[in-house]
Amino acid sequence: MRKSLLIIILVLVIIVANFSFFIVDETKQAIILQFGKPIKAIQQAGLYMKIPFIQNAVLFEGRLLIYDAQPTEIITRDKKTLILDNYARWKIEDPLLFLQTVRDINGAQARLDDIIYSELRVDLGKFDMSEIVSQKRTEIMKTVTERSNEKSIEYGINIIDVRIKRADLPPENEQNIFARMEAERERIAKQYRAEGEEESAKIIAETEREKTVILAEAYKEAQQLRGEGEAEAIRVYAESFNQDPEFYKFYRSLEAYLNSFNENTTILLSPDNEYIKYINDLSGN
Amino acid sequence: MPEFGNENNPDKFANITEKISKIQIGKGIIKILFLLILIIYLASGIYIVQPNEQGVIKRFGKFARIDSPGLHYHLPYPFESALTPSVTEVKRIEIGFRTVRGGYVEVSEEALMLTGDENIVSAESIVQYRIKNAADYLFNIIEPEQTVRNAAEAALRQVIGERKIDDALTEGKYEIQEESKVLIQELLDSYESGIVVIAVQLQDVNPPEEVSSAFKDVASAKEDKSKFINQAEGYRNDIIPNARGEAAKIIKEAEGYKVERIRKAEGDVAKFNQVLTEYQNGKDVTKYRLYIETMELILPKMKKYIMETNNDTDLLKFLPLSDSFMPEILGKEATK
Repeated sequence: MRKSLLIIILVLVIIVANFSFFIVDETKQAIILQFGKPIKAIQQAGLYMKIPFIQNAVLFEGRLLIYDAQPTEIITRDKKTLILDNYARWKIEDPLLFLQTVRDINGAQARLDDIIYSELRVDLGKFDMSEIVSQKRTEIMKTVTERSNEKSIEYGINIIDVRIKRADLPPENEQNIFARMEAERERIAKQYRAEGEEESAKIIAETEREKTVILAEAYKEAQQLRGEGEAEAIRVYAESFNQDPEFYKFYRSLEAYLNSFNENTTILLSPDNEYIKYINDLSGN
Repeated sequence: MPEFGNENNPDKFANITEKISKIQIGKGIIKILFLLILIIYLASGIYIVQPNEQGVIKRFGKFARIDSPGLHYHLPYPFESALTPSVTEVKRIEIGFRTVRGGYVEVSEEALMLTGDENIVSAESIVQYRIKNAADYLFNIIEPEQTVRNAAEAALRQVIGERKIDDALTEGKYEIQEESKVLIQELLDSYESGIVVIAVQLQDVNPPEEVSSAFKDVASAKEDKSKFINQAEGYRNDIIPNARGEAAKIIKEAEGYKVERIRKAEGDVAKFNQVLTEYQNGKDVTKYRLYIETMELILPKMKKYIMETNNDTDLLKFLPLSDSFMPEILGKEATK
């Protein structure tokens, strides 16, 4: 009898405990509602109590949530169109406010769409495309995050990070860019080839110059050597021939006759000539 | 008590002793059953953490402790629960392409990105990551893969956006990887995601397909450039040594000429000196002999005319006449 009573009590305790205790997981946060009216927010994980049947607990996501928007077109300050794909990280900061204003995550997503899109539009419209793509990206994102967060805080939402995932050009602009890239590459290719030809011409010209110089230097040295030879020869000849200039003239003339006269030569000889004078004058006078 | 026994044993005709023993057996079974359920209940807290895992224990949903690999115990439901995420497993995300059943599919909307000088490149990369802090990973973020993918895409585009196309295509590759890695890690840390990025591998940075032939032409233009230069160098390597060779030849020839000239002179002089010495021994006779001997040598070959002339003017008349005409006239003259 006592034992069965014990069991009944145990079951009752479990049932009551089930209705009056609830667990908030690390990934969750909660609000206690009393007859539908929010009275308390719980943001720490653990075991909590509520009054059975009078209060009930609503759980909310406690982790960082993703807001991934559809790509949208925005116009930059320099009137260029960019297709922007951005995402945001957000969390439910104040579940009470969150419940009262947007109710649930779907409601929040719609609100985030409005807030982030309008902030991006406004902020990106202040910059040129090149600034958005490269130099100012981080800065812009920081501003957009801060501004969006200022607005979202009234919905109990904390926007931690808004980030441009992709910033691309619309297809028709892409074609223009491709055409420009192609033209640019053609220019670079031409430049390379022209540079090659320039270098080549320089090398060839330099080669020709060097060749001319080398040959000229050689000519100079050669002429000098020849001159030296001539000079030495003249000196040697003069030294020797000066011993008897008269005889040298005679001797050298004979040598020259020997070398220069041949069968084509016609000579008119006077009978007085030393060589034939004995023809007329046997006496030899 | 008997009522209790009665309920469990509907056989009303069985004797009391039987009844009693059956009640006792029944009570025993319940006790055993109760004990068994209790044991099973308590034993449900036994769990194993595999070597690649970490055990994360929550008590009433609140993070309590981390268990290292091995056999562990946690209080049974609803007091404690365990999660065992794999912390050594390296996960990978492909950006710009997907490996589908061993095949490769390009995802151009992910791959194409703007560079700082408003060109477009196609970049494909792989991001490898694993869990650094299991509690953060489990409790702070949802959809970890999507989180890493978003961060990686944003980071890669930002890093490429800060570069000029030529940097992105060539030497900037390593830097892009490292910068992206740092940036992704910063983002993931700011989300307290408990994820560590192990590596960002830039697979390929290419010009978009639409303009790839123009880029290839630049590469071949570069080749052409060095080809032109090499050809010119080749020409130079041919010409200069040849010129040097020729120069050496010219100089050697001149040297030869110099020596030749001097030796010739010396030879001539030596000969002359000899002759002179002999000449000085008998001047008139030698002079005459030399003269006659020379004439003797040269005259036989020549056409010779002996003319009697009293004055030079007669002779001069014939001088401009050609060789062929002269003999005729001269002959006539001679026969007269």
